[in-house]
Amino acid sequence: MRYGTFLSRYKIRHTKISYNDLTPKPDSERIESLRPARIKVSLRYALGLLRPYLQTRFMEQVKAVVPLALYATLFQIFVLQYPVQAATTLLVGLLAVIVGLAAFMEGLNSGLMPFGNVIGSNLPQKASMPVVLIIIGMLGVGVTFAEPAIGALQAFGSSVDVKQAPYLFEVLNNWTVPLVLIVGAGVGLAAIFGTLRFVYGWSLKPLIFFALAPSALLTIYFWTVPDLKSVLGLAWDCGAVTTGPVTVPLVLAMGIGIANSAGKGGSTLSGFGIVTLASLFPVTAVLLLTLFVFFQITPAEIIANANAASASAGSVVSMWDQTPAVEIVLGVRAILPLVIFLFLVLFFILKVKLSNKLVTIYGLVLCVVGMCIFNLGLTYGLGAIGTQTGQSLPAAFIQLPIIESSPIFSKEIGIALVIGFALILGFGATLAEPALNALGLTVQKLTNGAFKKSMLMYSVASGVSIGISLGVAKLVLNLDLATILLPLYGLGVVLTIFSSEEFVNVAWDSAGVTTGPVTVPLVLAMGLGLGSAVSAVEGFGILSLASICPIIAVLSMGIIIQINQSRNSSKQNAELKEIENA
Amino acid sequence: MPDRHIVELTDVKLITCVLQNGLAEEVLEAAKNVGVQGATVSFARGTGIRDRMGLMGVTVDEQKEVIRIIVSEEQAPRVFDAMYLAGKLDTPGKGIMYIADLNSVATYVPEDVLNSATDKE
Repeated sequence: MRYGTFLSRYKIRHTKISYNDLTPKPDSERIESLRPARIKVSLRYALGLLRPYLQTRFMEQVKAVVPLALYATLFQIFVLQYPVQAATTLLVGLLAVIVGLAAFMEGLNSGLMPFGNVIGSNLPQKASMPVVLIIIGMLGVGVTFAEPAIGALQAFGSSVDVKQAPYLFEVLNNWTVPLVLIVGAGVGLAAIFGTLRFVYGWSLKPLIFFALAPSALLTIYFWTVPDLKSVLGLAWDCGAVTTGPVTVPLVLAMGIGIANSAGKGGSTLSGFGIVTLASLFPVTAVLLLTLFVFFQITPAEIIANANAASASAGSVVSMWDQTPAVEIVLGVRAILPLVIFLFLVLFFILKVKLSNKLVTIYGLVLCVVGMCIFNLGLTYGLGAIGTQTGQSLPAAFIQLPIIESSPIFSKEIGIALVIGFALILGFGATLAEPALNALGLTVQKLTNGAFKKSMLMYSVASGVSIGISLGVAKLVLNLDLATILLPLYGLGVVLTIFSSEEFVNVAWDSAGVTTGPVTVPLVLAMGLGLGSAVSAVEGFGILSLASICPIIAVLSMGIIIQINQSRNSSKQNAELKEIENA
Repeated sequence: MPDRHIVELTDVKLITCVLQNGLAEEVLEAAKNVGVQGATVSFARGTGIRDRMGLMGVTVDEQKEVIRIIVSEEQAPRVFDAMYLAGKLDTPGKGIMYIADLNSVATYVPEDVLNSATDKE
């Protein structure tokens, strides 16, 4: 509002009070009298403070969730002509996702982050380098358990057909804890290497090649073994799942703190790289775990076990296996180990007291509660929407029992429509991701404006959308994941060799940033639903393609910028020469 | 010896406004509407209230934005009022602001501005 409007509407009254009358006076009888007293908050005052506090946090998640969910459901209703099933449950589920994420993020900021900062800045002074690295590695495991999107992986495990993909079924259903543990180990290893990189200032390029080589070799081996082929999608997706809102800030806070106290911080590039490694190492880790399972058990045994399990499952369903108990157990199990681990480090190794215990405890409680609510929402909201959309999508081009008028379009138009749907979904979901905005700003600063924020955001978003549509195309047309993924990574490596260090850092990190807690479950569920509707062997692999494509997009953009800059400077040189000659 | 010239401004006030994160834009806009030339904005971390309110402290953002504006003595009350109203500082938790005297301010003063000022005297 303009000041003039105020002047015309209100009479502004100034009251002057001497501050001397308000400040505490020394009192010999009460020694504590000079220290400001605790503020008593009245109910009205409290409401006035709470409203904007709750509103901003709630709206932040609404912005991330609602457009995506709306887009998927509207497409389902108007294009596929398939009414939304169980709409009330879906709405409640979505609300749970929003509330859960809002609570979880706030808890993360006020509860977990202070831990990370305190440990990061104090640890190097109180412990030797090997101890620091071990703690960082263990933290990697802890944060992986706490990652909201990792619950999505476990939740969708049961939808895999045991006969078609026995090893995928076995890993997802009977090896879930080892699976998360080994993914965590991958993240831990990434955190260790990332921290070492901060401290010694290593280049990221050789680390990328070193991390990619074993996973590429294992992928080629798995590709040749028919039974193992189906696990590839899961393994490569795991990398994208791990780098979410818990891992990235917490591991970064510690890594940067350590680099600063080692005297090597302050480089503009410190902070990058951990995300990259944390999305590459888990791939190898999951492939190795599957290899281990492969030597332990034959496909026939897995199928026999699964049949026996499904036969006995009907009789005894314990209370803990039912919703909402199972979601709550998952939520508590996700956060508690991390919190206990951080507490132990703080009290036994650092012996530091936290500055504001009440707020920290509030944050931790909020984290657990938020995680439980989010898990519930994952099952009933995001997951359900994704599954419904995925299952009804093929109605565009094939006959589906659930939709009478299917196939709605001819085969070519239908497939094109589905891929177009995926393109827009990927683009919108990525632009809505708040982490991308932050990355864009950092990059703009880092490159002195050569790489503009909007340029980065659009190249990442188009990369993701191309990746997701490639993934959908893979499912619909029944393509081989390895034959798409390996050449793309090959292209990524070639581009990496020719790019400058800044662009390599930014490009490889941008892939991890884009796959947040809303996109991952939605896309995973959609892929699995779509996969089962077109009776593909498995629906994984979309996320892995959504990771590599933005890397290629950003790297190519970087190379274009580099070429432009060098052309400009050579032009300027030529002009200068001309002037000199004249 | 080359002749260097420093123009010193007098009758100058500094208005500093510490705001909850995210409010600066609005306050700056209001200040510009009443004739402020420019402002310096920086981020800061506040302490005190947050720790003394117990659990309610979580509603107060630790991140603050600090606006510093240099104004003439004549402008000061007008800018001060406008910023106060735009920032809604009469509600709890929004921020605090103050005016301080500046003895002498020196910067680049464009030739024509300088001439018109000296003409008046």
